[in-house]
Amino acid sequence: MIACVGVLVTGLASAHKSSDAYLQLDAAPNHLTLRWDIALRDLDVALDLDTDADGKLSWGEVKTAWPAIESYAMARLAIDGCELRTTGRGLERRNDGAYAVLYLASDCTLSRQPVIAYTLFADVDPTHRGIAKIQRPGQPIVLSMLDPSKASTSTEPASAANASAPAGIAIRPPSRWQFLGEGIRHILTGYDHVLFLLCLLLPAVMRRTREGWRPVDKLSEAILPVLGIITAFTVAHSITLGLAALKLVSLPSSFIEPAIAVTIMLAALDNVWRVFPVRRIVVTFCFGLIHGFGFASVLSELNLPTADFAWALLQFNVGLEMGQLLIVGVATAALFSVRDWKRYRQIVIRGGSMVAMLIAALWFIERTTNVPLMPF
Amino acid sequence: MRCPYDRSVRSRTRRAWALAAGLFVVALSQPGFAEPITPTRDDEIVEVLPAASGTRDEDRRLRKLVRGRPGDAAVAVMVARRYLARAREAGDPRFAGLALAALHPWPDATTAPDDVLLLRATLQQYLHDFDASVASLRLLLARPEGEHMAQAWLTLATVLRVQGRYAESDEACRRVGLAGVQVYSSACFAENAALRGEVESARKTFETLLANPRLPTATQGWLLTSLAELETRDGHAASADAAFRSVLRLGPDAYAAVDYADFLIDQGRPSEALKVLKDETRTDAVLLRLAIAGTRASAATATRDVAEMRDRIALADQRPDACKFHGREQAMFALAIDHAPARALELARGNVELQREAIDLLVLAEAARASGEADAIDEARRLKATLGVYDRRIDAVL
Repeated sequence: MIACVGVLVTGLASAHKSSDAYLQLDAAPNHLTLRWDIALRDLDVALDLDTDADGKLSWGEVKTAWPAIESYAMARLAIDGCELRTTGRGLERRNDGAYAVLYLASDCTLSRQPVIAYTLFADVDPTHRGIAKIQRPGQPIVLSMLDPSKASTSTEPASAANASAPAGIAIRPPSRWQFLGEGIRHILTGYDHVLFLLCLLLPAVMRRTREGWRPVDKLSEAILPVLGIITAFTVAHSITLGLAALKLVSLPSSFIEPAIAVTIMLAALDNVWRVFPVRRIVVTFCFGLIHGFGFASVLSELNLPTADFAWALLQFNVGLEMGQLLIVGVATAALFSVRDWKRYRQIVIRGGSMVAMLIAALWFIERTTNVPLMPF
Repeated sequence: MRCPYDRSVRSRTRRAWALAAGLFVVALSQPGFAEPITPTRDDEIVEVLPAASGTRDEDRRLRKLVRGRPGDAAVAVMVARRYLARAREAGDPRFAGLALAALHPWPDATTAPDDVLLLRATLQQYLHDFDASVASLRLLLARPEGEHMAQAWLTLATVLRVQGRYAESDEACRRVGLAGVQVYSSACFAENAALRGEVESARKTFETLLANPRLPTATQGWLLTSLAELETRDGHAASADAAFRSVLRLGPDAYAAVDYADFLIDQGRPSEALKVLKDETRTDAVLLRLAIAGTRASAATATRDVAEMRDRIALADQRPDACKFHGREQAMFALAIDHAPARALELARGNVELQREAIDLLVLAEAARASGEADAIDEARRLKATLGVYDRRIDAVL
């Protein structure tokens, strides 16, 4: 149901570029995996997938046509020395439409300069190209553009000096700590995550008593709950970030982004009226799960290397935590210093929470209607 | 050529968007946006197929037609023309690929029928493969009936003009006249003359031709646009403005709209540029001007348009040779939006190897000036002198 909603929202794609297919090759000794994304739109031209001619491709139509898609594609790709077999299928949505994903594998060792015969859509669209990325363990990715009108392409291994070679181009290898920086950067510019944390922190320098909020006496009394909140948030978002990054769980951003806005609204509301029957730590944990998916949405852009995936993901997460600690540290210190202010409850907790609720509400509207309202 | 693509600019710019008065659309415009689709029911729609002005039925009929009559040149040419029109309408180059495919049965240019070869040359021109286009046209025009092919001569004159080969273009203009179409021949000459600086005579020619009351609207539009471009390069803003407005009064004209938008942006009237482009299909050329004008005018739509243009550039750049074919737009974007003169200069340099219209030289000059490199500025001056282009805007920059 949720996926359906996501699909409906993003159903209509518009393209302003020529036809491309994407090949991701992961070469290891005696094993090669290949992921091949081919646009459904292009396949429809070649194979006429739209059997009921209503201008739309349904999952049923694609499923029915899958054997034809597979045999059509496999007949037009040959890698020297590697016999490919299919291992799975999928669908992917990209900027310019939906793509059929073929997962292939072979027990060969990819040669240093593999010769790839690629003739997909040669007679359907001569401007089509296959954009191939070849990843070998510990080496920079080799990018190669496959032209169906050429019988075969020999992809040269890349070297730094070879950076502008026509057939293979090396992408600059990421620095060892690149993803740490990305993590820090992402949380510092993730205003919704920051606002959520601030909402949780506003009453942290207070205690909830029978008479209402009272300022804590010692910093240590504030730090403990704060640490508890941060830990809960961190553990929760790490879990879902990992799950999403490994593609074990996937929720569309059209659901996640509004949901994040809702978590902010509820956290802010709880400051003013106690709405949650459970402890704040539990609430933080549950909401943290949702925020983790929000962090994951940036991962697809970062091109985490499949080989060092775990290490890169760890770096990213650590970066998030470092940024988080910075924000929380600054905020807690500031709030602690004004906690005795007579109007703290009114202005900081109440007023701050109201502002947060308003912002989150606007974000919610923005993210569900896709109408930009806010400057941030 | 490896496309210069600066990721750190994107991160900096991302923060700037968040902080500046701009608007941010989530998810769908994420560059390299890719997420798995997990349908649960058979009747769930996974893709809506593009349907432009033709209906889906017409599409399938055309495809069936081509498949059923593989040797029929007339059918193939008709189908290919339809596809080219769709490509222009939608700003979607995939249709041009489909058009080329329809002409596949005649791969050998020496034996292909005349209209197949002409259409292939037109498609090559559309896809910015100018050398191939010129080659196809020369082959075509070398045939015995070649001297009567006014359209082919005119297309050749246009492509040569884009490449900055004015003398050869003039020769083609002359042959248009010999093929019997005086109006286009005169206009063709006048365009080249205007570019070379013979502004007075060119202006007079255009005005004389326009005085004819029985001119078809399309021709009128073309003449007025050429006149407007002349006035722009000669520095007469008011006359250029009037000419552009006249074109757009005749009816929608995507090419003129983009031209006019460039003029308005240069004149410091970005909000008017936005109005002009409001109803145009968002081709790359249109979107670029919307992004630039929107940024200058601090429009509400600016950030979204900038983001979308950035995405398109990123997407196109996945092909290693992309910046060659999109160099002009990418250079303009790098200069006007990212304020990255070094990258703009590199892109502009690559671009002028492919095409050398006045705007290409202007972008090169502006990039050179912005980068402050003395030899880049010299290089731009020399290129302008070699081609013999007359353009007061370029003079002002250099």
